[in-house]
Amino acid sequence: MTVQREQLEADVLIVGAGPAGLSCALHLANLIKKHNESGAKPELSTENIYVLEKGREIGAHQLSGAIMNPKALAELVPDFEKSAPLDTPVRDSAAILLTERSSFRFPLTPPPFQNQGNYVVSLNKIVKWLGALVEDAGVNVFKEFGGAQLVYENSAVAGVITEDKGLDKNGKPKDNYTPGYELRAKVTVLAEGTRGSLTKKLVAEKKLDNINPQSYGIGIKELWDVQPGRIEPGYVAHTLGWPVSTDMYGGGWIYGLANNRVSIGLVLALEYADPRFDPHAAFQKWKTHPFLRKLLDGGKLVRYGAKSLPYGGWYAMPRNTVDGALIIGDSGSFLDSQRLKGIHLAMKSGMLAAETIYQALKTGDASAKTLGGFQSRVEQSYIRDEMWKVRNFHQSFQHGMFRGFIHTAFQQITGGRGLIDPMRAEEGYKHNKKIDATKRSLNATERFKGDGKLTFDRLTDVYHSGTRHDEDQPCHLHVLDTNICITRCVEEYGNPCQYFCPAAVYEMAREVDRSAGAGETERLRLKINFANCVHCKTCDIADPYQIIDWVVPEGGGGPNYEGM
Amino acid sequence: MKILVITEQRQAKWNNTSFETLAAAQQIASALSGTVSAVVVGKSVDALANELAGKNIAEVLQIEHELLESYTPDGFCVALKQVIESAKPQLVLFPHTYQVRDFAPKLAAMLGKGMIGDCVGYRLEGGRLVFVRQMFQGKTAADVTFLGDGPWFASFQSGSFRADQVAASEGGAKPVKRVTVELKAEQIRTKPLELFKEAKSAVDLTQAPLIVAVGRGIKAPENIPQAEAVAKAMGAEIAASRPICDEGWLPMERQIGSSGQTVAPKLYLALGISGAIQHVVGMKGARTIVAINKDQNAPIFEIADYGVVGDIFEIMPALAEELQKAK
Repeated sequence: MTVQREQLEADVLIVGAGPAGLSCALHLANLIKKHNESGAKPELSTENIYVLEKGREIGAHQLSGAIMNPKALAELVPDFEKSAPLDTPVRDSAAILLTERSSFRFPLTPPPFQNQGNYVVSLNKIVKWLGALVEDAGVNVFKEFGGAQLVYENSAVAGVITEDKGLDKNGKPKDNYTPGYELRAKVTVLAEGTRGSLTKKLVAEKKLDNINPQSYGIGIKELWDVQPGRIEPGYVAHTLGWPVSTDMYGGGWIYGLANNRVSIGLVLALEYADPRFDPHAAFQKWKTHPFLRKLLDGGKLVRYGAKSLPYGGWYAMPRNTVDGALIIGDSGSFLDSQRLKGIHLAMKSGMLAAETIYQALKTGDASAKTLGGFQSRVEQSYIRDEMWKVRNFHQSFQHGMFRGFIHTAFQQITGGRGLIDPMRAEEGYKHNKKIDATKRSLNATERFKGDGKLTFDRLTDVYHSGTRHDEDQPCHLHVLDTNICITRCVEEYGNPCQYFCPAAVYEMAREVDRSAGAGETERLRLKINFANCVHCKTCDIADPYQIIDWVVPEGGGGPNYEGM
Repeated sequence: MKILVITEQRQAKWNNTSFETLAAAQQIASALSGTVSAVVVGKSVDALANELAGKNIAEVLQIEHELLESYTPDGFCVALKQVIESAKPQLVLFPHTYQVRDFAPKLAAMLGKGMIGDCVGYRLEGGRLVFVRQMFQGKTAADVTFLGDGPWFASFQSGSFRADQVAASEGGAKPVKRVTVELKAEQIRTKPLELFKEAKSAVDLTQAPLIVAVGRGIKAPENIPQAEAVAKAMGAEIAASRPICDEGWLPMERQIGSSGQTVAPKLYLALGISGAIQHVVGMKGARTIVAINKDQNAPIFEIADYGVVGDIFEIMPALAEELQKAK
């Protein structure tokens, strides 16, 4: 069936209404306003800026700790302190080492863990607020629309096709079928967040990878209301050690928000040896430490979520400009991999993109030559200063914590150069060891159940993520060869998708094989509960065969990260 | 500008959006000093044609043919193509109905013309007719206009104009012209069957006083009848948790839980349901919950009034048998 798509033309099309995309839209709208007020030609219109957001509303898919460095926001919205939902300024930052039973606070908090001047925020609330400013500026934000496909013209990016709506689970049109729109734009901005599905295709198509492939982590978060007096608003702690073993890279966070609300989470690098490691279970285990138990006892789980994040840093930053398109925010690796802070860098990258696009609109030239100005703007900004200092940081930890600390000590005194520069990295999934090498039995490990009060199983947690998808739609998790799942993967890796997914999407179901000649033998079948998907992209990243392709489901589906 | 409005009727009953489109045509005609012809298609539609003749239009074109009694896309396209070729309108308007969605694009394509479907209004821009369509689920609207020569095809969404604003004829009934069309049975490639009304989803679980629900513990689709036997013996409706409906072992409208229905029956018998929170939110309002599950730690037992730790495959047949006896 050939689909006739409706076409719409825009000046600028931004895919993703997160900190990066919205900062780009708002800064560009401000530049256009000044431009028009000065009487300059050609006249430009903020209405020709389109933003696509796959979530039900702006902010619905935003998940972060979050501690925000306000410096980019101060440039974007100078009087932000008057109206932004900042929750609470950081008052005390602690670094805490956990062993199984005890906790030790570092007497002096190491600089990367210091957060004076920053705010503890709900990224969902910040982004919702920013979205309202963007809409007030006349920009068109299309909620419940995802970018499904890039449109090319003479090998330049020329826009995006949004996802088809109203297809049933077999891909047949239902009554409400609406083919995706073909949105054409002079400049397309990919601000899809970590492991963007269009970004992934563009990076592969145009070979935009830097010397290192992107490295990723997964962050698993719960928001709790705790008993009064358990934590001061503005108290932030980062934990090292238990239950994260020293051959892995990861740690926890505990952030005190206003009104006895606390954000807790565990971040783990998706580059571990045991393919049956379960990040969700590790997070639950972490909560049983006396230090956390004391905090959470008598409290109540409010919300759950999970999201991957790009760790790779400067040397994993893809080439961020091609003819007709720019890549910003997490999609473009704008994250400080040492401090795990990316909100301000994402915003700044969006603003620098806006300045570049403004030049392109004025001159009518959106080729890589003009858009390449983005890269030089990045190089001259504090983005480069911050990221350059830690350019070898994350790679140092690819072989465990101890080696990592030695490397970082040298990097600290050499402005980031350290012992090896550039230090190379490999894709995280390559760290998976085959299971016959890990001395563990082939039997599936006992799954974490949870006590229902302090700890929870994955389904209960997913329930608290507010995730919803229309179940009568095509599965948005494309497994390119399900035969591998029931043959090689069973033997070699024990089906890690069952373990790394924090939303219980992947399941190896046992069923009776009724095919001719099979007798009544049992066989495995991959069952994908896609309606549980919280859009974290971990599967797309961590699958050892790289055969899982995450594509956008029908717009409006996904988690509801209210307050996260 | 000559405007043709293709009305829609079935078994001599109007589809009322026909008059909304007629009102739109009258407004466009008066703005562009044009004329409106109303077309009615079918068999034995004199009464409908005469009703149209009472409206403020130029004429009614009545297309009658044995083969147009029931709607077929081929029949309508072949007939209307001839009407359009002889009447030579500049603009052909349709109500945006399911039937129109089916044949109008095809008709336009047969004539090599474009169609603007599902419009919600029109505007005049310096004498040029511009149609307005919703985009992005109503978030924004697009202006669309025709290039090239007519006839132009467009359809209006239901509710875009008001049927009660159709102007009546001031000078008595307008002429009704019967137009004969050439139509042969072999030109029609589909055969319409009896009209039927789709049965509403057969069950409304929210109204069921007794529900027997099955979960993963049922293991395979061929075991469902065992649970159905229990349900039948009790006079209960059968329902299921999500994995069962996901697999297609029971239809989706029988799913209980956060992505299915929420029920509060007098009795809820849960067979092999572990009690994930997604299911529990859909049934915890039941007055009495009875759970049977192999796993004594299954969370369903936390909310069950009566619990049996046991094998449903032993219990189901015995239960069905005892219930039969008790009747």
